[in-house]
Amino acid sequence: MSDSSSPAVEVRGLVREFKGGIRAVDGLDLELEPGEIYGFLGPNGAGKTTSVRILTTLLRPTAGVARVAGHDVVAEADAVRRSIGVALQEAAIDPLMTGRELLRMQGALHGLRGAPARQRAAELLARVGLTQAGDRRVGGYSGGMRRRLDLALALVHRPQVLFLDEPTTGLDPTSRGALWREVRSLNDDGTTVFLTTQYMEEAEQLADRVGIIAAGTLVAEGTPAALKARVGEPTLHVELADPGSAERARVALAGLGSLQPPDSAAPCKVELRSAAGHGAIAPVIRALDEHNVVVESVEVESPTLDDVFAAVTGSHLEGAGAAA
Amino acid sequence: MSREGRVVLALGRRALSVQFRRAQLLLPTFVLPLMLLAVIASGTSAAQGLRGFPDVASYLAFVLPGTIIQGALLAGLTSGIALAADIEFGFFDRLLAAPVRRTSLVIGRQAGTLGLSMLQSAFFLAVAFAFGARYPGGLGGMLAAVALAAITAIGIGGLASAIALRTGSLSLLQSIFPFVFVLLFTAPAFFPRDLLAPALRDVAPYNPLTYVVEAVRGLLQDDAGLGDPLEGLLAAVLLAVATTALATLALKERLRTL
Repeated sequence: MSDSSSPAVEVRGLVREFKGGIRAVDGLDLELEPGEIYGFLGPNGAGKTTSVRILTTLLRPTAGVARVAGHDVVAEADAVRRSIGVALQEAAIDPLMTGRELLRMQGALHGLRGAPARQRAAELLARVGLTQAGDRRVGGYSGGMRRRLDLALALVHRPQVLFLDEPTTGLDPTSRGALWREVRSLNDDGTTVFLTTQYMEEAEQLADRVGIIAAGTLVAEGTPAALKARVGEPTLHVELADPGSAERARVALAGLGSLQPPDSAAPCKVELRSAAGHGAIAPVIRALDEHNVVVESVEVESPTLDDVFAAVTGSHLEGAGAAA
Repeated sequence: MSREGRVVLALGRRALSVQFRRAQLLLPTFVLPLMLLAVIASGTSAAQGLRGFPDVASYLAFVLPGTIIQGALLAGLTSGIALAADIEFGFFDRLLAAPVRRTSLVIGRQAGTLGLSMLQSAFFLAVAFAFGARYPGGLGGMLAAVALAAITAIGIGGLASAIALRTGSLSLLQSIFPFVFVLLFTAPAFFPRDLLAPALRDVAPYNPLTYVVEAVRGLLQDDAGLGDPLEGLLAAVLLAVATTALATLALKERLRTL
């Protein structure tokens, strides 16, 4: 039995080996608290989808233990299926059916029937903004509409844990934003969300905690802020109006952070590292003003999750910047 | 109705409704058999005058059972094709992620095949009637013939589903299409068994469709001499049970090796 104190997802030493000895997942350990949004970030082929398929009972692990909502994914697969909602990569939706028909069918698979099933389908169509399109065949839906319907299908039975496998891949920024809002709203209602993504912006925007996976192994985990703090503090790039004021600027900023060595190729620039990030902008401008230094611009460059990924794996995320 | 019963019904309803929205599935199941019927009924009607040809009032009604069984074959095959498409395009994963018995997924698909075959047979009987075919077996004979064809469709559907589940290949299922005609023409679908070429006559007793098509003929013509309904029922039920079991085993094997 699951209870509210047990982890929503608990994975210990999970391994999945495919033919030819390829290890897609290689000793994965994870723990998700109930009610959190967990972002599983990694490039294509890192093992994200294989992990999700194991956690959603669609694939058997070669070794290790995985429990979802308190149930073992192998020994209690049916109980896991009752507790989870799944929206897999590339929304697999029959294009010949209408959105409402699919929701009714999904309801039947989860034991809903009659008026409650009809009502739930209407509710979910409204929730994802597809009421008008509900009686149209899915083949005519846009990519964003399909993703929203896929999300609605995963919610029919009010799951405790929602698995979203790259839910916004290929979507335009508007559709992506709409889906993010919906995920946040679901989480506000208490649903635990396990989200895989190759977009660092998506992980930063949505996730309470992020796990970075590479070559089937978890290489870093924490809140986005904590992970970024590991690779360094934000840098403030100060552009001065007069290159002759650079020395005065350095004196003015000396107590506000760690000054970077001057760059002779850019005499108008002063760089300052400060943990305060954007919070340091106002003190920086005040200090420069007090020293009669005229400022052209101040920009803050924060470390990204891609920097974290690069720091722990030595390579960059394929989707870095793609979601921006 | 039990929860699993409702799941089977929902999956069957989906299988059937989708069938009518996909022209490439609808044409072979409803139009192709009628085209072949038209060719055979008009082009080979002289066979009725051959020595040994049974004494029947309507040649069209005599060859119609071949069309009904062809429809059943195609209904079963298209069911396997649709399942392979579900597997290949990922829809089957959605079903596997639901808390339903795995066997319900196979039986639900078969329920759709059953419905499709019944509609086909009723349609073929009505069209042939409009063109002069008469059924001395009456309504009872027609209903029994429709039921027999539906059980046969389940038998073929089970086999096609087993192949789909084993291979997950849509193109393989589509390539099986010509074998429908091999099965059909190695049974006395359009001619009496005694008038088949010797080689076909030797093969026919080993083809379960022989007993089914003869039984349908006997039922429609109200003449047990043309085909024994019990033999036909036994052949159809054995085929359906065996291939549905095969499909269920294929699904279990698929899940075991995931």
